[in-house]
Amino acid sequence: MASGGVTGYAAISARVRAMYSDLLTPQDMMRLSDSPDFQTLFSTLKTTSYGPYLDTLKDKEINSKRVISQVKRKLAEAYYSVIQMAPENTRPLVKQLYRYYEIGNLKAVLRALVTVPSWNTTEITLWDRVRDVLFPMGSAAALPAQAMVESGSVGTAVDLLRGTPYEETLSFAMRRYSAEQNLFPLEVALDLGYWRRLWAETKKLSGQDREQGTKIIGSLLDMNNLLWAIRYKVYHKLSEEEIINYTLPFGYRVHDTDIRAIAAGADIASIITRIYPEITDASSLLENPQTGLPRLEYQLKRQVMKQCLAAFVGNPFHIGIPLAFLVLSDLEVQDLIILIEAKSSNIPDEEYRPFLLKTNPPS
Amino acid sequence: MFFPREMTEVELIIPSKDLVAVAKVLSGHGVFHQMDSTYLGLENLGPSTWQERAAGYSALERRIQTIMQTLNLTESYTGSYDFDNMVDLDTVRPSVERVENEVKSTSDQLNSERKRLEQLESQLHQLEPIADVNVEVSALRKSSFLHSILGVLPAANVHRLETSLSRVPHVFFTLREDTQRPVVWLLGPRSNSDIIDRAAKSAYLNPLSLPEEFEGTPAVITGSIRKAIEVSKQKISELEANLRNLSGTHRQELNQMLWDVHVSRSMADAIVRFGQLRHTYVVVGWVPTADLGLLTQRLKQASPEILIEAIPTERSGHHTNVPVALTTNKWLRPIQMLVTQYGRPSYGELDPTWLMAFTFPLLFGAMFGDLGQGLVLLVLGLLIDRGVILKAMSSLGLLIAYCGASAAIFGFLYGSIFGFEGHLIEEYLGFHFEAPWLSPINEILPVLSLAIDAGIVILMLSFLLGMFNNIRARDWPHLVFGHTGIVMFIFYIAFLALLGSFLGTTAIAPKVAVGIASLPLPWTLVLLVFGLLVMFSGALRNWMEGHRPIEGSGVGGFLMFVVQSFMDLFESFISLLSNTLSFVRVGAFAVAHGGLSLAIFSLAGEEADLGFWITILIGNLFIIGFEGLIVGIQTMRLHYYEILGKFFHGGGMRFEPLTLTPRREDV
Repeated sequence: MASGGVTGYAAISARVRAMYSDLLTPQDMMRLSDSPDFQTLFSTLKTTSYGPYLDTLKDKEINSKRVISQVKRKLAEAYYSVIQMAPENTRPLVKQLYRYYEIGNLKAVLRALVTVPSWNTTEITLWDRVRDVLFPMGSAAALPAQAMVESGSVGTAVDLLRGTPYEETLSFAMRRYSAEQNLFPLEVALDLGYWRRLWAETKKLSGQDREQGTKIIGSLLDMNNLLWAIRYKVYHKLSEEEIINYTLPFGYRVHDTDIRAIAAGADIASIITRIYPEITDASSLLENPQTGLPRLEYQLKRQVMKQCLAAFVGNPFHIGIPLAFLVLSDLEVQDLIILIEAKSSNIPDEEYRPFLLKTNPPS
Repeated sequence: MFFPREMTEVELIIPSKDLVAVAKVLSGHGVFHQMDSTYLGLENLGPSTWQERAAGYSALERRIQTIMQTLNLTESYTGSYDFDNMVDLDTVRPSVERVENEVKSTSDQLNSERKRLEQLESQLHQLEPIADVNVEVSALRKSSFLHSILGVLPAANVHRLETSLSRVPHVFFTLREDTQRPVVWLLGPRSNSDIIDRAAKSAYLNPLSLPEEFEGTPAVITGSIRKAIEVSKQKISELEANLRNLSGTHRQELNQMLWDVHVSRSMADAIVRFGQLRHTYVVVGWVPTADLGLLTQRLKQASPEILIEAIPTERSGHHTNVPVALTTNKWLRPIQMLVTQYGRPSYGELDPTWLMAFTFPLLFGAMFGDLGQGLVLLVLGLLIDRGVILKAMSSLGLLIAYCGASAAIFGFLYGSIFGFEGHLIEEYLGFHFEAPWLSPINEILPVLSLAIDAGIVILMLSFLLGMFNNIRARDWPHLVFGHTGIVMFIFYIAFLALLGSFLGTTAIAPKVAVGIASLPLPWTLVLLVFGLLVMFSGALRNWMEGHRPIEGSGVGGFLMFVVQSFMDLFESFISLLSNTLSFVRVGAFAVAHGGLSLAIFSLAGEEADLGFWITILIGNLFIIGFEGLIVGIQTMRLHYYEILGKFFHGGGMRFEPLTLTPRREDV
């Protein structure tokens, strides 16, 4: 039995199952993707559990950026509820999982500082442009995002991170940024730091919490680690030692030996097929990485989804169910973002539908 | 009382000359929830200067806050409301700059000295592990055959770095073990220097920056660094004293400037969202109806020519854009917290706080009925509420007290005092007391049956409240075919009749169900007809909403629809059964409570000696702490899952009135 046990999970289990029933069904997603245009999609989305978040938008605010921001609010509220109700010993893990979005915000702020300082005009400030793309972290935000954007430089912005969980990580990477003037080392350091801490929090749990946490967090980690290794090898053409240093030595199904083999130049397709026998077309996907890697990422997300759905079977008194719910909610939001962007940019159905997870959930 | 506070939509047309006076009234009273009205303004008037002014005030406020933080001054947002105009940016800015320059010069010196001290201490820290190595540091840099890197890296990267170099000849020493920043020394052949550098760089190994001015062995260098540290510390304490002096000199001035700029910034932020017309401004927002009279009076005083249109908002219909101000009653605050944890009521929706204020203690008390333990919980709750003990839980104090009071009343009715019941009371406590109502441990089946009855009544009430909410929202499709609609309600009644006739005269039979079954109605027929309606309720609801009743097309689509509808019916049936039986736990916990007390008595023995009373005391503490917690969670679960889910949707927008002082969360 998990350390939180029946008493620790009674309330959260009830709440999560209630929220789980609010997730969109494959039929809902199909209905949404059948919308002929962005306006219809918006109207249909308003009839779903996202309705209350979209009702607050005024007519002139109905654009893809604002709608996506409101859709993310539902996910933020789900995290808030789960963090509030999670048993004390598992709360650090859920909080760390939530930091994923803060890391995304931090990267967005840094990218804005590097790439678009010229956006600062008297009419629209850089902050006005950046804030809509940030994840609405609410009271959980540790990032002084506005002050960072207004600081005008990466160095000053990073100085403002004193006392946050990112100070130590970036203190090492900033030296490389100063020398190379490239955000790559900062972003890699943030990613590695995030996943290391998340894995460490998972391993602090015991019993079924640990087992379920390892499966779900491990599956997410596997997907990221594998994609990093492949991208570093195929796109960035990094050396063996760099790939090893920029990846992680742990996971659920993907092991260090697999990552090292990819770094050393082994056949990537056969490694993927060995780890995930369900992915049978790995070699064809890797023939053209430009189009193949997004498809591979989709397949790996399906593996994560499968792992999450499995958590709902059996004993319900463990952290696996809240974690699985949060990951599934995130995947749902990713689907919605694809749909919203596709409909607002009039992208043909055949180009985005293959990437929707909800319309074709794993059995 | 049963709904969020009644709100009135207010539309104001303000003459330009009274703009600031009106903004002051709107911002200063904490009752006006502003809506963005810029879209009502004229677009051809060009960019508003207020945007720029608001940005200016905001930047200036942050500068003052930064100065105050540097001087270690607490920000205080208090000051006079007696002002006619906003502060002039050009007047305040020079004052802020003057203080800022004064503070900045000292604080910059302090920061740079602290950085230097940090650097010196870091160098000392890095050199200490190699202090006894009798070698010139510069020799390491000048080696002809070896490539060496002496540096610091994140502890988590150490093993990864070693792994990455597993196929390259190298030597790796950890000179200083540290959980965060170990000092390491990496050596390899000079021919592999590019690989070693690449690996070190990708592992974020930062080479030590040993200052050129320090020459000699590590021991000599550490001596010199220690001396430099002493000098630096002395300088830092002098600069800190200077800052303390500045803090005393400028405290009052900074507080005044902060208040003036903050007030102006708040008002400018509000004005930015006004709609600008040629000679007037238009403002839209929401005010609690009860506060409208006073606000109107003050607005008229501020601007005699202002036009005010108040549009009272009915609670019926959909009102997702109306902000929701909940009634703030101190005694209901913990219950309100439980409700808002689940969701904030929307404007037209029934606020379940009052219902929950009644049912939460009721269900808790029924499960935890004990006069003595209930009174202990009551006292504990009051002490927690007043912050005497467990300050961190003070928001839950009153809830614990209510639950304790209810447990005491049920305890009286169950005839239970600190676990003593029946003859045990007479034997050990020395007086006679019989259960005036029933004793759960002795009448198990009637208690379970009663719990189901209570559950049925609560569920019926939830159904009715759900319908009430749908009527108010004029959501007719959901009123008839929703999951708490009329069709489902009648199906539930017929289902109860079936349950009642099935259980008949057994002791567990819920009396409400038996009573319904005895009514002279063709229940089987009702169940069949309404079962069919429940089965196709999705399609019928779609039809009422004007959508296509069946999704999908062709024979396959129809078959899928039938299968799905049947599964919907099956799921509804199972849900109703499990919802009803879920309340058995209320009786089961009442029985378990008595059982747990009996277990403690069997541990305590029969002799009323000191050991007996200590066991009873510890046992009671265990029951209050452990069982109290479990019963609390079960009560919450019943509310969140079985009761609120039936009629409460939430999703209301928080009422956030303009205010000049930083806002406090209402719950």
